[in-house]
Amino acid sequence: MAEFIMLKNLAVLLFISFLGVQAVHAEEELPIYSGIGGNFSAVNQNGKPIEFNDFKGKPVLLTFGYTNCADICPFTLGYLSRIYAGLTKDEQKKINVVFVTVDPKYDTPKHLKKFMAHFNSEFIGLSGTKQQIDNIVSLFQAKYEKLSAENMVPTKNIRQVTQKTLTDESDAQEDKSSLYSHTVTIYLIDKSGFTRSIEYTGTPQEEFVGKIRGLINE
Amino acid sequence: MNKIIIRCNFLLILLLSGAISSAYANNQPNIVFEQFFIVDAAEVARSTAGYGVIKNIGQVDDTLINVHSDVAAVMLHQTKITAGMAAMTHVSNRVIKTHSELVLAPMSYHLMFMNINPADFSQGKQVTVQFEFEKAGIIELNIPVRHNTY
Repeated sequence: MAEFIMLKNLAVLLFISFLGVQAVHAEEELPIYSGIGGNFSAVNQNGKPIEFNDFKGKPVLLTFGYTNCADICPFTLGYLSRIYAGLTKDEQKKINVVFVTVDPKYDTPKHLKKFMAHFNSEFIGLSGTKQQIDNIVSLFQAKYEKLSAENMVPTKNIRQVTQKTLTDESDAQEDKSSLYSHTVTIYLIDKSGFTRSIEYTGTPQEEFVGKIRGLINE
Repeated sequence: MNKIIIRCNFLLILLLSGAISSAYANNQPNIVFEQFFIVDAAEVARSTAGYGVIKNIGQVDDTLINVHSDVAAVMLHQTKITAGMAAMTHVSNRVIKTHSELVLAPMSYHLMFMNINPADFSQGKQVTVQFEFEKAGIIELNIPVRHNTY
């Protein structure tokens, strides 16, 4: 009889701990990353000046990149699209996904709008002056750096191709895109503007969605 | 007697040629491409990436020394993440050892297409890429363009 009671208690304990793990996974209590983030001004993809405080009231997923990025930025935005798709329609309305360009000279608002629409038209692209971008990068303790001349675009001096996008000198003048190395972190920011988690594209989708839900429900 | 000698010589030549061709075959690289695709580019993009697997199933090591396309400038690049920051480098000579593979995937090795016309890299298009190997020579591949599924 004593054995039966012990087994029963053990089963109850196991069940409670299982529920606890599930609850933590679904809505984890996230710490505040002091000193990472803050209010800033920028220009959105519609050409409208914005303040980051305008996003208060909704959790934000913020990342850095640029439209001429071939590998990381499309991969990160594709990952964020899948995270976004993992939320319900109602939850999607309660968050903002923000992509801050590190190449504001090339990534004009008009340019960013088309780029963001390729992944998800609900995502927000932010550009601005170089000073504004540098301020955002500094606030989030991120980094970016222009790559060496060898890796820069246009690359017609690296390898001859029979077909070129740039057909004349005026086009060449307009094409000022470069290649950059940059921070690949995804910042998860709460409704009050505090950074609560620092993620990357390796975070399992379910885990990331759980963290976002946690902030939506706070 | 002469007939026997002729037959023996003929047999010897056959054996020797067999051995030589076998040795030659064993020293030849055998490069196989799998699951290659190019990511469809956004309308305003000036670059995009290609991914897939290059397998060396031959008996000797080989080196990828050049990548070329008539549609855009292309290079083998490698992304490295250090302290949360991604840096990209051009890889000029990449040895693929015998019975090994080079995996091109996001945040790692990739074909970097630059100075592109996005219309050439829209879904459903195919891009011809020539891979030049030190031993296997030039191998041409028609790579489909599709949405990134990684």
